[in-house]
Amino acid sequence: MKPWKMSFSIIILTALMLSSAVFSKGYVGIFVFSLIINGTMAVSYDIPGRSLGLISLGHAVFFGLGAYCFGISISNGLSFFPALILSVILSFMGALMITLLMAGLKHGYYSLATLGILIIFQRLFETLESITGGSAGLYIPETISKLHCNLLAAFLLLATAACHVLFSRSRWGLYSKETEASEEAAETIGIPTRTVKILCLMTAAIPACMAGMLHLARTSYVSPVSGFSLTLSITALLASRVVPVRGILGPLLGVLLITAAEEVIWTKFEGFNHAWFGLILLGAALYQGMDFRRRKTISATVENPLSR
Amino acid sequence: MIQVLISGLFLGGVYALLAVGLSLAFGIMGVLNLAHGSLAVLAAILYQKSLLLYPFSPWTFCVLATPIFLGFGFILHLIIVVPFRNLSLSAGIVTSLIASLGLALILEDLFVWWQGWEPISTNITFPTFNIVGLKIPGLRAILLGMAAVTIGLSTLFLKKTDPGRSMRALAQDKEAASLYGINPGLTSMGALGLATILAGVAGIFYSSLYPLGPREGLDLTLKALFIVVAGGMGNLRGPAVAGLVLGFIESFAGFLFTYTSTDTVVYSLLVGYLVLKRGGRRQ
Repeated sequence: MKPWKMSFSIIILTALMLSSAVFSKGYVGIFVFSLIINGTMAVSYDIPGRSLGLISLGHAVFFGLGAYCFGISISNGLSFFPALILSVILSFMGALMITLLMAGLKHGYYSLATLGILIIFQRLFETLESITGGSAGLYIPETISKLHCNLLAAFLLLATAACHVLFSRSRWGLYSKETEASEEAAETIGIPTRTVKILCLMTAAIPACMAGMLHLARTSYVSPVSGFSLTLSITALLASRVVPVRGILGPLLGVLLITAAEEVIWTKFEGFNHAWFGLILLGAALYQGMDFRRRKTISATVENPLSR
Repeated sequence: MIQVLISGLFLGGVYALLAVGLSLAFGIMGVLNLAHGSLAVLAAILYQKSLLLYPFSPWTFCVLATPIFLGFGFILHLIIVVPFRNLSLSAGIVTSLIASLGLALILEDLFVWWQGWEPISTNITFPTFNIVGLKIPGLRAILLGMAAVTIGLSTLFLKKTDPGRSMRALAQDKEAASLYGINPGLTSMGALGLATILAGVAGIFYSSLYPLGPREGLDLTLKALFIVVAGGMGNLRGPAVAGLVLGFIESFAGFLFTYTSTDTVVYSLLVGYLVLKRGGRRQ
């Protein structure tokens, strides 16, 4: 990562950390918390999104899974930290099962399957009414102060950003780039592509699960629609893609932009919030199309320097 | 039990119609159009509104509205195909998927604004036939026949007419088709027009049989996409058969479980099939 990108990323992360400590109550507190949770979702989404080129439409499935594991643990009488540890273990197992299923899929099929998984979980948690509260959702008592919740969320974002940087710099990050370019070629030179995919997807899944847990701890409420939310998945997708900068700076800037836009859309354009998201998605698709074309031109120029 | 089978057959017919259009769009342009179901909902709303002016039968309205759907198809082409031309297949799929999801979200909000949250239902009354003790609703039987005719006509169009042959040529090899003088832009526009007509017909038929929510477009698209994956992308026979199978499964699951459980079972089967079919081999 270039030094200026790293500096900007550190500035944004520090600002969020400080804001989470200073503003823990009222509207600003909720907004800062939303920024941090959306940031965690976007940065974690970006790990397989950038390195494997996979577009997930169901990243929120991990968020919902984490939230429900935590909520059910609290409802059964556990206090905050034991519930958190148990939820991490449970959601790790759940995320691993989903990841093992999804790891063999590519491109459009992966996107389609992730969207399908999101709907399955939404409907499943609506059906399991005795455990999950059904479509009415799950309420839990306040187990931790809002300030502590904000601080934990800020540390989670920091840890997710560190995971992103470490993963992309590790040999697994290089393996995943190679896997994205050509899975066949990667396998030929001995890269365990399936393991790379699973590792990459799990690195993205765990922070999303923990974001769900902390979100529930702060808001005290989760329902199948809000936990396994398509809007949340799209927010993560948009925040990760909307700013054309690689590394963690892209999703961090993206999340500032999208969360601010989200606030304006929810308050000023009531009833048209999905439409605005749709417009932003269309814009993101156009940008992505241009980016693919630019990369194609660059690779053609590299292959044939005389064409310059 | 036989009544459930018959119900599944009717539902499957509509799904098949929806999936065939989607398969056509993917086979020819490599576009995974997530707004396909929203177009079906749009057609259903238009039909419901038209009933306030004149009591059209579903099939009469399908014929009359064909030019409108064709026009929608052309507009859709400008939004989700034209900007992403000349991309590789995988890049094209991903970008068209994001763009069409954006379009579907825009359409859903517009539908709620226009129609409200009330499900679209046309409430057409039609006599029920009693054949060998089995109650067969007349409207469903006619619509099933119409769905079969529509799929048959689409297949004939693709196999026996020049524009249809051009579409198939484009699906097989874009560059070779261009060398033979086929205009890829116009041909793919026609193909998306045809796919949109099929979505429109499916929407009108569906809303004639079941209430259709203004936000159910994405749900319909997803089921149709899984049918296409199960039946095989780019051909018409496979999705038609897979659509019928899904209709039966959904009908049986609805007979055995509650509404949400039915969806869980249906989507689990679909995702499971997708993972088994596409997860273990090169695409």
